[in-house]
Amino acid sequence: MVAVSELADKNALSIYIHIPFCERKCSYCAFVSFCLDNSEREKYINSLLDEIENFLTTKKVKTIYLGGGTPSLLTKDEIFAIFSKLREKFDIDETAEITIEVNPNSVDEEKLRAYKAVGINRISVGVQSLSNKTLKSIGRLHTKKEAIEKLKLIGKYFDNISADLILGLSGEKSVTSYAKKLIKLKVKHISSYMLEVHENTKLYFEVRDKKYRPLDEKGVTKSYDKLVKFLKKRRIVQYEVSNFALAGYESKHNLNYWNYGEYVGFGVSSHSFLRGRRIANADTLQGYYKRERKEEKITKDMEIEERIMLGLRCCLGVDISILKKIGYDIQKNENYRKFLKEGEIVEDGGKFYLLPKYYKFADYYILNLLP
Amino acid sequence: MKLENKRNFCIIAHIDHGKSTLADRLIEMSGTVSKRDMQSQILDSMDLEREKGITIKLAPTRLIYEYNGKEYELNLIDTPGHVDFTYEVSRSLAACEGALLLVDASQGVEAQTLANTYLALDNNLEIIPIINKIDLPSARVDEVKKEIEEVIGLDAENCPCISAKEGLNIEDVFKAIIEQIPAPSGDENGKLKCLIFDSHYDNFKGAICLIRVFDGKVKKGDKILMMQTEKVFEVTEVGIFVPTTKECDILKAGDVGYVAGSIKTISDVKVGDTITNAENPISEPFPGYKEVQPVVFCGVFPVDGAKYGELKDALDKLKLNDASLQFSPENSTALGYGFRCGFLGLLHLEIITERLEREFNLDIITTAPSVSYNVYKTNGDCLEISNPSNLPPAVEIAKIEEPVVKVNIFTPPEYVGSIMELCQDKRGEYKNMVYLDKRRVELNYRLPLGEIIYDFFDSLKSRTHGYASFDYEFDGFENADLVRVDILLNGEKCDALSMIVHKDKAYSRGRELAERLKKIIPRQLFEVPIQACIGNKIIARETISAMRKDVLAKCYGGDITRKRKLLEKQKEGKKRMRKIGSVEIPSEAFMSILKLGDDER
Repeated sequence: MVAVSELADKNALSIYIHIPFCERKCSYCAFVSFCLDNSEREKYINSLLDEIENFLTTKKVKTIYLGGGTPSLLTKDEIFAIFSKLREKFDIDETAEITIEVNPNSVDEEKLRAYKAVGINRISVGVQSLSNKTLKSIGRLHTKKEAIEKLKLIGKYFDNISADLILGLSGEKSVTSYAKKLIKLKVKHISSYMLEVHENTKLYFEVRDKKYRPLDEKGVTKSYDKLVKFLKKRRIVQYEVSNFALAGYESKHNLNYWNYGEYVGFGVSSHSFLRGRRIANADTLQGYYKRERKEEKITKDMEIEERIMLGLRCCLGVDISILKKIGYDIQKNENYRKFLKEGEIVEDGGKFYLLPKYYKFADYYILNLLP
Repeated sequence: MKLENKRNFCIIAHIDHGKSTLADRLIEMSGTVSKRDMQSQILDSMDLEREKGITIKLAPTRLIYEYNGKEYELNLIDTPGHVDFTYEVSRSLAACEGALLLVDASQGVEAQTLANTYLALDNNLEIIPIINKIDLPSARVDEVKKEIEEVIGLDAENCPCISAKEGLNIEDVFKAIIEQIPAPSGDENGKLKCLIFDSHYDNFKGAICLIRVFDGKVKKGDKILMMQTEKVFEVTEVGIFVPTTKECDILKAGDVGYVAGSIKTISDVKVGDTITNAENPISEPFPGYKEVQPVVFCGVFPVDGAKYGELKDALDKLKLNDASLQFSPENSTALGYGFRCGFLGLLHLEIITERLEREFNLDIITTAPSVSYNVYKTNGDCLEISNPSNLPPAVEIAKIEEPVVKVNIFTPPEYVGSIMELCQDKRGEYKNMVYLDKRRVELNYRLPLGEIIYDFFDSLKSRTHGYASFDYEFDGFENADLVRVDILLNGEKCDALSMIVHKDKAYSRGRELAERLKKIIPRQLFEVPIQACIGNKIIARETISAMRKDVLAKCYGGDITRKRKLLEKQKEGKKRMRKIGSVEIPSEAFMSILKLGDDER
């Protein structure tokens, strides 16, 4: 288990950097990403460097995460430029977790060496499926073979490897065989999200027009249950609703989000949480270049909601005394006492936790535990 | 002003035939209110009234109009046009000598046109037909004139044909009022005799009686007696409406105005009551007084149980201005503490519940409306039951009587078959059918009121594409073979979903309600059986299958705000949920009884 005390450090900061580049948009993707030409890319990178340059902090950086889009589309030089700026501006902890998301088709040995050189120590691979038919149907650009080859290659350079698998894709009643293969390829961490059909994505129209048929709720829940069971046997621990890791390989970056830690996001559509304010960068490039931001001050009532929402769906749990301090004595809540009595939540060390077997009903528990 | 220069009149019309627009136009043309202050439909002062295009509270106004070199004082008493308020309308009519019968030039005579005309005739009023909306392309003035003559029996040959909206021929209306409506008679030196036709509540003046003085005079300092309630008050103020209140020295025979007398509760001011001088009273009150009885009842509960006190305050405040609203505390296992409220009809119910939500900012849950049944027990007791869950067990019941109404329906002939089918289905008893002309048929039925409040109006509208109109009046109580259908959720009875229905319909209604609830109630963590039963006998069953997962938004990336907002939305939805045992049901479910039968249409 990751040292939570480390996360709770008031002087710790996480950094998220959004790389909105894509070769092609996947059918299900609702993230902000674009197919950009070279001059636009340059403009974006320059704006990003400028945004980093103008951020002021004295805090120690504990995690950095390059997400997208497709960060593996960054050239070696762009990687160097971003990291030299980061190292120039920030005090980055020696043991900081530094992650980059990569797609199997766009990562290569040269880039991996560059990652290593700038201090990246965790690679998150967008595998999604190990069926060629499925990969093609959702618009991924790699094949099963390519995914396996690239994982092997990454394994030569990195120990901390994570892979994504999507649950609920058409015809994929089980993904345990993929998980098995991934473990064999020394993947230490699996993120497995249930497919969500977002409005105005390509998938949305395909589903609407009955050209694509995702698994129904029963099917997706079954495949989730199977995966949970399989990973448990392999001692890969479910530390959040959709995240599984060998002990010590939990994503510190994500845990910081859920632990109410501070973070700063750079790039279009990225989010920050600083000094009790949640700040969202514009989600269009034009807005981003003009530094348009939306800011929201988190009130005590909001904080109560967020702490329960974030803590209950993962291994971090929710601190009872903190809730009390901001005005919510949850131990007096009728539902809380009922869930406790029925053994669905447990109290331990001043916190309460939802048992992982109830994670798939997390929203129900969260909703019923709100003030 | 001399009596011969006064006229007291009202406007009667079917809904939407332009009553309030004409009233506005009369006020504007008489110069009572400057155009600058004119807010469309002045007399409909509540937002809700303006929005629904209906008049709820009466608002009289005094108009001054010059005609043939003489000045006339015209008192317009606006009336609510809806069947729920028939008694109020009849009292307003009783305060007048004449009525303008407004008929839409394209719609023609409708159910309320006729119902209101009968009321006016009962009060011996001079009725002046007026054809409105002649500017519409679909206006058929000559045919409508013929309809008025044939259906109502009034001479319409030279009646004013106007467009209130466009201000066309309004002077003809003034002319008709002055020339055709008789001036009030009465003796200002006689004993005081006033009719209360409405009441308002004013925070400073207390309850205000809207009155028509028939004989005698009244001024500040007089001691007055309310003849029905037998209460005595000292007059603190008298005045007139212009249309806002304006104090004056004295009200005399023939006048329309108000009296205030530090009257603390509006229940002391009964519409239809007679006011006389306490020291020199008349012997006989004005005839026609009735104690207004609510006919439709429903439970009103706060969504947030902690707001019970606020709900009570709000009802108290509404009652200040609306003596016909009744309420008493009620306790439901499903909905907690709330009130059983009695209303004059469905519209009245709708208005009150909307005002609670809008003006008092309360989130409320209402249960399906019910009528009041006379239940005779085997031990000889007789109970009035308006809440289905209070119905005694079947073995203790000797007989049940339900309220019955006489219904008049006006419809184009092509819908007659469909309407007859509807009335049959609602246990109606056919009485009569008259072909009024080529375009219009009048149908008379006798129907249980319980069936009327159960989606009759919606069904009628949808079956006739809105072309039919209907009106009803009470016609006593009648024996009926009624049973209570209860709903069990996960084995627990949900009192707020119980309904009293005719035995022959119990199975189909029970099944429909179970099916509907299955659609409305979200899946829970466990399987939920829904059962409909009569006593211990299960008559229908549906099952809501268990939820397989409930974890939607992935918590990935730093956008926590979006997730929190999603959660807050769910939380709002949850607030409107009620728990029956361990089953959560949304508040709409409690109204779903009313929506039965929708699916087939």
